[in-house]
Amino acid sequence: MKTITIKSIIDPSRTYKYIDDGSPKQGGVKDVYFAPNRKYVVAFFRTALDFNQRDRIKRIVTLYLDNIKNGSAGDYFLQEIYRWPYDAVEQDGKTGVIVPIYDSKFFFAKGYGANAMIKGGEKVGKWFTAPSFRHQQYPLALDKSELGDWLSYFQIAINICRGIKKMHQMGLAHSDLSYNNVLIDPVSKSANIIDLDGLVVPGLYPPEVIGTADFIAPEVLKTKHLKLNDPNRILPNQKTDLHALAVLIYMYLLRRHPLRGGKIWDLDAEKDELMAMGEKALFVEHPTDRMNAVKTDQLRKWETFWGNPNKLSYTKTGPYLTDLFKRAFIDGLHNPMLRPIANEWETALLKTVDLIQPCSNPQCDEKWYVFDNSTKPICPFCGTAHKGSLPVIDLYFKFKDTVWKPEGHRLMVYHNQYLFKWHVSRKVIRNESLTAEDKNPVGYFTYYQNKWMLVNQDLQGMKDLTEQKDIPVNSMVELTDGKKILLSNEEGGRLLYITITNQ
Amino acid sequence: MRGEPIQALNNGFNGLISMLRTDPQAMDSLHISVITFDREVHNLVPLTDLASFQPVEIHCPESGPTHTGEALEMLLKMIDNELVKGSTERKGDWKPLLFVFTDGKPSDIQKYRMCIPKIKAMDFGIIVGCAAGPKAEVSFLKELTDEVVKLDTTDSNTLTTFFRWVSSSIEMGSKSQGTGEILTLPPPPNELNIII
Repeated sequence: MKTITIKSIIDPSRTYKYIDDGSPKQGGVKDVYFAPNRKYVVAFFRTALDFNQRDRIKRIVTLYLDNIKNGSAGDYFLQEIYRWPYDAVEQDGKTGVIVPIYDSKFFFAKGYGANAMIKGGEKVGKWFTAPSFRHQQYPLALDKSELGDWLSYFQIAINICRGIKKMHQMGLAHSDLSYNNVLIDPVSKSANIIDLDGLVVPGLYPPEVIGTADFIAPEVLKTKHLKLNDPNRILPNQKTDLHALAVLIYMYLLRRHPLRGGKIWDLDAEKDELMAMGEKALFVEHPTDRMNAVKTDQLRKWETFWGNPNKLSYTKTGPYLTDLFKRAFIDGLHNPMLRPIANEWETALLKTVDLIQPCSNPQCDEKWYVFDNSTKPICPFCGTAHKGSLPVIDLYFKFKDTVWKPEGHRLMVYHNQYLFKWHVSRKVIRNESLTAEDKNPVGYFTYYQNKWMLVNQDLQGMKDLTEQKDIPVNSMVELTDGKKILLSNEEGGRLLYITITNQ
Repeated sequence: MRGEPIQALNNGFNGLISMLRTDPQAMDSLHISVITFDREVHNLVPLTDLASFQPVEIHCPESGPTHTGEALEMLLKMIDNELVKGSTERKGDWKPLLFVFTDGKPSDIQKYRMCIPKIKAMDFGIIVGCAAGPKAEVSFLKELTDEVVKLDTTDSNTLTTFFRWVSSSIEMGSKSQGTGEILTLPPPPNELNIII
């Protein structure tokens, strides 16, 4: 065991230390050593890098890092979303990167319910997309305390979308997005994109991998047999990232793969895989072409719920995501230009969170589900019907002085649900750039003495237009069917239109 | 094999199971079957998914013949019966992986050689032969597969390294795929001698 000091190749005045105990943690292509203070790791590529690869690493730790730092919400991206390498070193001809250490929340606190075998292990996404690990009869199910609830996976997906959005804005492609390269924590609802040293700069540095099974885009697999310099060969790029992103979101929310259905294309398993994920890829929930529908009698016993689209259709993710899944897996599956971009996914996920409501069953594993626009909503996970009345709010914006138009944004009300500035004004956008002040709630909904009430905490100019009464701060208004409430009379201020269902 | 080597083998093997159980991809797909062979051939662990697998203790007699051929024969039968073959209606199992571990040489050499072409025709994902200890003979394993690893010693360190390598071979499929054409085995650890 020895402590080794090395110099940065970017700025030789910077030095790093790592402990070499002879058995580094081995990743796919790197050996990882910890700093004595455990603030960072030094990850050495096992094989020597060529000029291009070294040049790419240098750019990642300088140009692109600075880009993120100096851009909007730089801290958020560097602390919450990425484990971005921030310096490069060399030792005995091997190149290494300095990467911040993973936050402790990304290691299992308990792991399996039955034993401590994976306690302390990394929470790679696969643990949470395979239905077996959450099936309580499975011999090695994850402890319930590790699983989070359905809402957790929305925040996780939103974080991943933001990470991809930012990368694409910088002109980069991830090129190997998969559940192996994203650590997630359903408990704190966080996600961290890791292994960022393989980023692809289109036109400048070619990708070195085609991706990970389950996430490789059809056009990449379809042209895999061609030579690298063949103009028809398609290598990972931003559009293929968008395929991987769609698959990842689908798997986090529905815990099955969107393209793994019952159709057998070839008796040879390898050829079949190549066709099913490549040339012949077909959405298992395609509404008209049922050729690849899931054969529910062939599901393993751990998958009978999540694996069965008849029990849990993708449309249960609500109207906004349904639309994007259609674009990703029907229109855009073989037409990359039509795939939704990361920003669209982020927006749809956020709008869907506003449609989510708590399950009335306190024992429900998933605890939340998306309001399905019906008058008698039922939790798709445990089958419990909603009890009591249910206010639904549609948001409107001022088009002309007397004309209000719908935003296409609906907010489900539940007891102790909060109202935020991004609901109140078109000028506040719900994204990573929100200020701390904008994240404070401005009002809340409550079921109080058998009535649904909206309490105004911080909104000047809130007014009940139906009764023509001002609603000052620290007072409340009852939500009744057909009521119109103006949230703000400033420019961009919105109006709420209330519908009460399930009466 | 007795004394420390067999202890080390047992530890190494059960350690392999533990290692694989920390990999969600392996947990989700892998099934294991163990055949032991000496004078007698036993299917010590019938095909079991990784989560249901119970730790086992492999015993060896102090002396006697090594019926490697008969073990391969049993393997052929089991593959026939247990491996789900793909049909137009149902997806088949992935190609099985075969690891043959021995500290000696086949005593039923005729049967062994008879089985080899049949094993080769079975379309295994990989076949790895491991000759462990000073008395293990590499040449016979080389008839079965090109991938032969010779462990000069069978202490627990060497075996742990070997099984870690086995584990990474098993996990290959779930890793990032290169832009090149075929999946190959990960490089073996330095401590072992690979016979080519």
